[in-house]
Amino acid sequence: MESIDIDQAVYLKSALLRWASAMEKAAPELNERDAQLGDGDLGVTLEKCAKNVIAALDKEASSPYEIFKNVSQACADASGSSFGTLLTSGFFATAKWLQEGKDLDRNSLSELLNHIVQKLSKRGGASLGDKTMLDSLHAISIAIENCGAQEDLSKVALQGALKAIEDFRNQPNKIGRARMFAEKTIGLDDPGMVAVLRMVESI
Amino acid sequence: MKKILNAPKAYVDEMLEGICAAYPESYRLVGERVLMRSEKPINGKVGVVTGGGSGHLPVFLGYVGHGLLDACAVGNVFAGPRVADCKLAIQSADSGNGVLILYGNYGGDRMNFDMALEQLESSTLKINSVCVADDVASASLVDKEKRRGVAGMVFAFKCAGAKATAGGTLDQVTTVAKKAAQACRSIGVALTPCVVPESGNASFSIADSEIEFGMGIHGEPGIWRGPLKSADALTDEMLELLLPELNFTRGDKTAVLVNSLGATPHEELFIVYRRVAKKLESLGVQVVMPLVGRYATSMEMTGLSLTLMPLDSELENLLLAPADCPFWKV
Repeated sequence: MESIDIDQAVYLKSALLRWASAMEKAAPELNERDAQLGDGDLGVTLEKCAKNVIAALDKEASSPYEIFKNVSQACADASGSSFGTLLTSGFFATAKWLQEGKDLDRNSLSELLNHIVQKLSKRGGASLGDKTMLDSLHAISIAIENCGAQEDLSKVALQGALKAIEDFRNQPNKIGRARMFAEKTIGLDDPGMVAVLRMVESI
Repeated sequence: MKKILNAPKAYVDEMLEGICAAYPESYRLVGERVLMRSEKPINGKVGVVTGGGSGHLPVFLGYVGHGLLDACAVGNVFAGPRVADCKLAIQSADSGNGVLILYGNYGGDRMNFDMALEQLESSTLKINSVCVADDVASASLVDKEKRRGVAGMVFAFKCAGAKATAGGTLDQVTTVAKKAAQACRSIGVALTPCVVPESGNASFSIADSEIEFGMGIHGEPGIWRGPLKSADALTDEMLELLLPELNFTRGDKTAVLVNSLGATPHEELFIVYRRVAKKLESLGVQVVMPLVGRYATSMEMTGLSLTLMPLDSELENLLLAPADCPFWKV
């Protein structure tokens, strides 16, 4: 069992490293998108989280649970911005999921994503349909649930993330600072949803 | 960007270093980002804690002081404080009888304090929280829990701090904090934006000839944008939004705060106060201890906000109780 855990840990670490470097790369784009609706610091926030995550991945951690716990703490230490806190919560929910002995494989991924959506909704107060990253995670979860056993999961997830952006493009944001721009947000892609897309592309 | 600073990244930490150097008898830093009172906590006093982004001085950390707050978790400019700092602020303010978290209604601030609260739940420390959401421009009365917390926070800090100093229990302090938070209403008007150091960009853009009525303290959109109006016309319009929610009757008392968002000078605040005082007088409403000045700012933003808080005898006494911090003395 131990050798499997180590393999999993190595695989996870490399995926999270790709995630972090993609966030650093996407920072300018996300700042710019966020500036149209928010205070323009989404990229800055993700960049800070990514930097801490890269450092945290150097820490000794042999189980996926420990890795996600460290990554969650790294995000908490990086930023108090809403998106940083939601990342912290998402990673922490994943760590707890693993601690409870649940799997992180193809069959349970959709369920885990739904679990994360519930946790983030409770934490941040957003509901599905508010045009936030929760809608992206939900769309990805559905796409994975409905895909064939042989399909490439990363492609399926990517399609889910893209579909969510397209489905919500012409709807208004209903929560957070962007809510107050109401009609002006119609036609604009939600920066948090784009951030999820960039995440999916990296993993 | 035209700002007096060294490095944008060091903006908040250097500000904290400076404020502690200027007022060592009032403030001390715990960890990197928690400001607390220099004097020893009174044994058994209920702690009152807040936290939020920088860029609003004296809100939030400025109100750490006697008869006010005990500790404040400090975030970057316009960003929430980190969970660990929220936790540290709560723990630092505890002297045995519980802690009240009193925060403004902003996503990051709420989430981080709520997470800190969950992490501390297993301890013996009793913690309550109250959220201030006084900006009438940010959501309608039906959606009032979605409103932002703005200058009304100052009144909530004052009343909760006074109750705690008078020896109130955690539940009593929580009750008056809720009462103050529910009583106050604010509305702002912005003329020019401010620049967030780390992004280097203006918080919003607006034509030279225009103002935005109802704009939030981070540049959140308001109710209308249009040509500048006279001070009296603007004041009347602000009162038209606030008064219907306050149900004053002749003989009532109220607290009033005419607040600069940063760059608007005291002169203009007094021109507005003059109109507010006349209107309230005509309604037979008595103003108690009017506040006119910089109480809740948005760095160098030009503009002002008006806050009213109807007073019963309890809130009036709490408002008038002695308090002392480097930015405000009662």
